Amino acid sequence: MGGFSAISAGNGWLIAAMGISVVFFGLASLAFIITYFPRAIRWWNDHAKSPKYTVQLLRSLFSQRNRKATISADTREGHESGELDDVEEALRLITAHMKEPFKLPRLIEVAEQRGLARVHSKINRLLVKGTMVGGADGLFRWATPNDRKEGVNSETVSK
Amino acid sequence: MIPIDELKKYEILAELDPAELKFLSAMAEATQAREGEVLIQAGLPARTLYILQEGDLMVAFPDGRAITLHKPGGVVGWSALVSPAGYTASVTCLTDCTFVTFSGSELLRLVQRNVAMGTKIMRNISKVLSRRLPFLQEKDRQRLRKGR
Repeated sequence: MGGFSAISAGNGWLIAAMGISVVFFGLASLAFIITYFPRAIRWWNDHAKSPKYTVQLLRSLFSQRNRKATISADTREGHESGELDDVEEALRLITAHMKEPFKLPRLIEVAEQRGLARVHSKINRLLVKGTMVGGADGLFRWATPNDRKEGVNSETVSK
Repeated sequence: MIPIDELKKYEILAELDPAELKFLSAMAEATQAREGEVLIQAGLPARTLYILQEGDLMVAFPDGRAITLHKPGGVVGWSALVSPAGYTASVTCLTDCTFVTFSGSELLRLVQRNVAMGTKIMRNISKVLSRRLPFLQEKDRQRLRKGR
């Protein structure tokens, strides 16, 4: 006995199908983990600072999803908003390594090395939006709720 | 050439009278730069003074600290008025920008010939710089004093 009949006799087809399935689900799981890894790290960092953050994060994620759903997916505005959220997330990851406050030129350099497109204009939008703020010491950091209340250095930000 | 009405909108030229603005109008040129473009490189000879017409800029100092400018009228390349001098900071466009530019040597000659006008311009540039200087370290201040 040899060839296909030998494969059939030894349950080879079943084993091959199982092997393919295992590899497929393994890779799918890996892709899923990689996709959500940045968010998990961010959650972990923030959660360590404030135990209430979990609830806030879940609420903000939920409201963000709702907001995104209401904005027509194919409008440019909606697309850019989502894109900016992704960039913000990527930049937050980078700055988590750099520690706050961080040097803006260094952040741009690292973001470009990591392949983020049009870093300058996206960082500018975060600055104008007040998500990222510049201090009087020439260093930058992510805005806190207090920054939004008090406003920021007029030359460093805001149109 | 840039119209006088356009020039008098900018803080550093605000105190100049029409006759003085007329001189500057003839010298001024319009320039554009793209997002991400390095407009000024720190250490290189300072030859041009830029006034931001539209767009957003990052002024980065050699120690990595920076400020960003978002309002029309922001001035960069003031070292061009200190001869001989190199730029003290690098300037990068965060978005597509347009500028009114002045040749440093021409402007310096004009300022030296017309002391009253020179005083007004220098006083306004000092105001702009005093808002930016607080975070500079002593070594940067010394370099600025030396005109580098």
